[in-house]
Amino acid sequence: MEGECHFLEGNIRAKKRVNYTKGLLAEVKIEPERLKMFNMGASDAKEFAHAADEMTKIAKEFGPSPLKKIKNRKRPAIRRIQ
Amino acid sequence: MIIAERKTFDEIKQIVGDAHKILIVGCGTCVAVCMAGGEKEVGILASLLRLDAKREGRELEIIETTVERQCDKEYLEPLAKKVSDADVVVSLACGAGVQFLAEMYDTKRVLPGLNTRFIGVAEHEGMWTQRCMACSDCILGETGGICPVTICPKGLLNGPCGGTNEGKCEVDNEKDCAWTLIYRRLEKTGGLNNIKKLFPPKRYDVQTKPGKVIHPAYEKGEGKAHE
Amino acid sequence: MNKKSFRETLESGEFTITAEVGPPKGTHIDEMFHHIDLLKDKVHALNVTDNQSSVMRISSLAVCQIIKDKGGEPILQMTCRDRNRLAQQSDLLGAHVLGIRNVLCLTGDYITVGDHPQAKPVFDLDSAQLIHMVKSLNEGKDIGGNELSGSTDFYIGATVTPESKPIEPQLLKFEKKIKAGARFFQTQAIYDIENFRRFMDYARKFDIKIMAGLVLLVSAGMAKYMNKNVPGIFVPDNLVDELASTEKGKGLAKGVEIAGRMIRQLREQKICDGVHIMAIGREGVIPEILAAAS
Repeated sequence: MEGECHFLEGNIRAKKRVNYTKGLLAEVKIEPERLKMFNMGASDAKEFAHAADEMTKIAKEFGPSPLKKIKNRKRPAIRRIQ
Repeated sequence: MIIAERKTFDEIKQIVGDAHKILIVGCGTCVAVCMAGGEKEVGILASLLRLDAKREGRELEIIETTVERQCDKEYLEPLAKKVSDADVVVSLACGAGVQFLAEMYDTKRVLPGLNTRFIGVAEHEGMWTQRCMACSDCILGETGGICPVTICPKGLLNGPCGGTNEGKCEVDNEKDCAWTLIYRRLEKTGGLNNIKKLFPPKRYDVQTKPGKVIHPAYEKGEGKAHE
Repeated sequence: MNKKSFRETLESGEFTITAEVGPPKGTHIDEMFHHIDLLKDKVHALNVTDNQSSVMRISSLAVCQIIKDKGGEPILQMTCRDRNRLAQQSDLLGAHVLGIRNVLCLTGDYITVGDHPQAKPVFDLDSAQLIHMVKSLNEGKDIGGNELSGSTDFYIGATVTPESKPIEPQLLKFEKKIKAGARFFQTQAIYDIENFRRFMDYARKFDIKIMAGLVLLVSAGMAKYMNKNVPGIFVPDNLVDELASTEKGKGLAKGVEIAGRMIRQLREQKICDGVHIMAIGREGVIPEILAAAS
């Protein structure tokens, strides 16, 4: 659980980093909800399964990754700017 | 050290334009310590640019590199090949580093990835505060080691304004009033007499831009020894 | 014009009253004209604020001239926020040749609180240095030490916040302002007469004149707001309660009564040398305050 990390403050720090990373995703217009952090104990198999289900559901709702939507186009000629 | 912050991705994207090969150059000194322009931040910006390009179906090649310091020529010289291969260069140094890089490779577009904020200190992990305005005429010896030019938004030299409030500043009540800090510090260290005199107006001639400092014992160049 | 000047009145020991005119933002000056006409003969002088609260308005210098044209006596307020030492000095020379003889030197609010938050804050000098500079102009030299062909003759004023917390740094600056050449002080608003009396016990040892600042209260809400949000202003509970128990719609009348009563007490008990009334947008009731004080 939050604040009860084996590495003491580790999961509090991780939460800040994850929130920051969600912001980075939003900057490049990728839904930040595609990233989520769950807190659970090492032996919480049920919680893990729930979390996996929840993420699967979220991913399905969003559909395919926006990075895959557009097939790679032909590379345009490089315009060198001097 | 110099404290900086990354520009927004939108702004970087806009100034980079339609370049296909981008060299991102980090700086391993001040801006690495304040987590704005070191090796790690170069990696993050490169990832963002790649993700964005991929999302839009654009081809993009990014070269990442970080040098010890961008404000020393010796560290910029080895970049020649990488710079010449790139369409544009994004420098994650402070404004000084960006300019030095642009000056050395003056046929290439060199763009800033950061906004340079101030000279400051690491207050605690992940937080930096301003401490020095580089005013070229230091009075810290008289003000108990607290700089009113920097810590007071108005830069007042002769005591607090009427907006001082229980030791806080009227401009931002989360910030300390410089003159309350100075008074309390000098009370403890016995220097209150220092600040009873009328400080004369600040000299701005000594900070005429652009500044230049010469160390006579070490200056190389025209070969002239200073008297 | 044989009338005694503001300086002569204050220096003679007569209880002196000043009020304040806030120049408008824009060129419609009818209302300000009205206030000047209403007040110019009822008070000894009228302060003209300098881009008050960092909001851009008609210049203090222009409005001082208008007051003079109408036969009143202006006090030019000058802050350090918008002009460097060159601009301040040239405005001061200009003020002198226009016949303006009183200057109140202030630091000025910070620029971001006003309506041009992105403008460059100047603060080339601070208020103590500004006072020193005016004194220097009076003595025939500019701040660079250059001789003037003809000196100024300003009566130099400054401000002090008697309720400032902590008080020691404020008093340090107050004493520096006196050393720099301030001859009279208009204080930040005071409401607690006993606190003010203690301040005056200390301030009396200096050869200066002190005018108590009074801001017209119009409601208990305003008093509470100022206690919470305006540094250096303290409205004691008894005044807040007095306003709170006032019938609805009578707040302004109560505020006028309180101000009048305070002026009377300050004058009769010779606590200070005068008062400076800041009615902030309700300049029209100042004659009523003066009537209540008499």
